[in-house]
Amino acid sequence: MSFKTAVITKLALRNLRRQARRSLLTAASMIAGGALLIFSLILGDGTHEQWIDSAVRMADGHLTIQSPRFQGSRALKDRMPGESRAFVEQALLQGGIVGEIRVMAPRLAVTGMASSAAGARPARILGVDPAVEVSFSVLDEKVRQGRYLRPGDRLAAYVGIGLLEALDLRLGSKFVLTAQDAGGEIAGQLVRVVGTFRTGIPEVDRSLLHIPLSTAGAWLGCGGDVTSMGLLLGNSELVPQVRRSLQQRLSETHGTEALRALSWRESLPELDAAVKIDDFSNYLFQGILFGIIALGIVNTVLMSVMYRRREFGVLQALGLTPGQSASLVLVEGLILTVLSGTIGIALGLSVTWFLWGEGLDLSSMMDNEWTFSGVVMEPVVVPRFRVARMVQGLSFIFLIGMLASLYPALRAMRIDVAETMKFER
Amino acid sequence: MGNPALRTEAVWKVFHQEAEEVRAVRGVTLTIQHGEFVVLAGPSGSGKTTLLNLIGGLTRPTDGRVWVDGLELTRMSSRELARIRLEKLGFIFQSYNLLPVLSALENAEFPLLLRGLERGRRERRVRELFQRTGLAGLEHRRPGKLSGGQQQRVAVIRAVVGEPALVLADEPTANLDSAASDILLTVMEELNRDLGTTFLFATHDSRLMERSRRLIHLVDGQIVSDQWQEPRREL
Ligand SMILES: Nc1ncnc2c1ncn2[C@@H]1O[C@H](COP(=O)(O)OP(=O)(O)OP(=O)(O)O)[C@@H](O)[C@H]1O
Ligand SMILES: [Mg+2]
Repeated sequence: MSFKTAVITKLALRNLRRQARRSLLTAASMIAGGALLIFSLILGDGTHEQWIDSAVRMADGHLTIQSPRFQGSRALKDRMPGESRAFVEQALLQGGIVGEIRVMAPRLAVTGMASSAAGARPARILGVDPAVEVSFSVLDEKVRQGRYLRPGDRLAAYVGIGLLEALDLRLGSKFVLTAQDAGGEIAGQLVRVVGTFRTGIPEVDRSLLHIPLSTAGAWLGCGGDVTSMGLLLGNSELVPQVRRSLQQRLSETHGTEALRALSWRESLPELDAAVKIDDFSNYLFQGILFGIIALGIVNTVLMSVMYRRREFGVLQALGLTPGQSASLVLVEGLILTVLSGTIGIALGLSVTWFLWGEGLDLSSMMDNEWTFSGVVMEPVVVPRFRVARMVQGLSFIFLIGMLASLYPALRAMRIDVAETMKFER
Repeated sequence: MGNPALRTEAVWKVFHQEAEEVRAVRGVTLTIQHGEFVVLAGPSGSGKTTLLNLIGGLTRPTDGRVWVDGLELTRMSSRELARIRLEKLGFIFQSYNLLPVLSALENAEFPLLLRGLERGRRERRVRELFQRTGLAGLEHRRPGKLSGGQQQRVAVIRAVVGEPALVLADEPTANLDSAASDILLTVMEELNRDLGTTFLFATHDSRLMERSRRLIHLVDGQIVSDQWQEPRREL
């Protein structure tokens, strides 16, 4: 720190202390703003994480590994070989990212028809490994009757309640699945209802069913092949890093075209948009709030400059350059805002931590089940404390302090020294 | 030291107020040598303050040139002028103008602080001046806790502490009673005599005029007389 910076800082601190009352009033609004800012950011992040978690577990995971062609065609011919699972596991291991993966679920997806004596309905048929699927999907928790699939099941089906009713089936009923197999032929498979689920999302309940992966492979002539591998990570922030590392390994070993890791942002674009819109509306609200707080700061700092015009005149007469006068004002404004903003953020963090660290129950504010983007939401939001948000919050407050002090600083810089000395008593 | 402390050459300052032209300073040419103790006298509105501001680089002349210690101010940027004020000039104002958030000592040493002098040397110099001006013991008081005369003496120390080429003092005694004025004048005379500090005053105060060695009369922005005299010693 140069001695001039030291002089300016010393003066700034003394001046703030002299105007303690006015400074405190402004500081109070900044403290409240900082607390609200961080609270809404970490609560927003918690909400979004919950959206993402529910959605990716209903769909294909935080990351989905598949052939790039499958994404467009959804056809069995664009499946990947059964060994892919081993490749991916190896890639994860080599990339040192295996620890970030909670669950890896192989799946064979096909669209076909489900028929019974009551008629036929289009169906989204998912061949799954029951042992891993229970810890991946949320579907097993939505059971209404019977049970979810178990390892060792062969001709079992876990069917959405809407589909069950449409086909007039009940537990233990048999029905037939038909779809185009790997060779392009129409093939049929007899299965038996072992359980039924209700997600609350009509499109899902009306069409989705799970069958064992081995059954699906044999029926469709795919052997052990899969259409995708779903990866569930510890949390959504890990996605970019894991994806980058995984993609790099995969293209090293399989060439760029063979396998592709798709993030949830790509596979669930509506959810991605929803998160961005929600963040944006939060930023907008914070922007307006801080705009108002900033006006208060401008007022305080400007008042203190106008009230001390003579003093700034004296300082310049003593040899302070106009730039140094301006920086004195900037430093005062910054100390005021950054100090109170930091206190506000610390306050917001601790209050959120102590009151709602375990989760904030919003169920009293919702009358019935709340679905979002096709996913049923839990009414309890668990805040997410991220360092990045604190850095963001502090930088934002710094910026606000800077912007708010800019005009007063300019006024201090432009002071006409001779003019300030004129009306001496 | 070949350069005079101050030299002005045909300096003009014309203010434009609404449609009117105010010729506050009209072609003042003046030289002051190092170590002089000069009083600028004249009726109200004669241009004393304006001339001091021109010399201090606080106002830019309409025409003419100004040198302080041989350096021409007229062509300098505002940053360069700030540097000249810091290194070559000292200011004393009518209403003391100490910084209220600093103690007497911090006020007095402020120019040295701005020049980056280390603490030990600053304090030694300032304490010595406090001693010399009868302020010893008041170093840590805030200006608000000092009398007017004491505040003005602190301001004098602040003006001379950096050994400037020239100290400009605009009505330094106008807010003081005669006793306090006397003390202040004595202090400044002693600083002038012992340290060789050059003073240029603007004043209405006849006591100050009597005690100067050189008395310049300004009327309507022009020098009408410039005389050396035997200064009256204090009683
Ligand atoms: N910024 C300004 N704009 C217009 N006119 C000015 C300005 N400053 C000074 N003047 C005019 O210039 C003239 C000289 O003013 P100045 O303050 O220099 O006089 P002075 O000798 O210091 O007077 P006093 O003894 O009352 O302090 C006056 O007529 C004054 O009105
Ligand atoms: Mg005047």
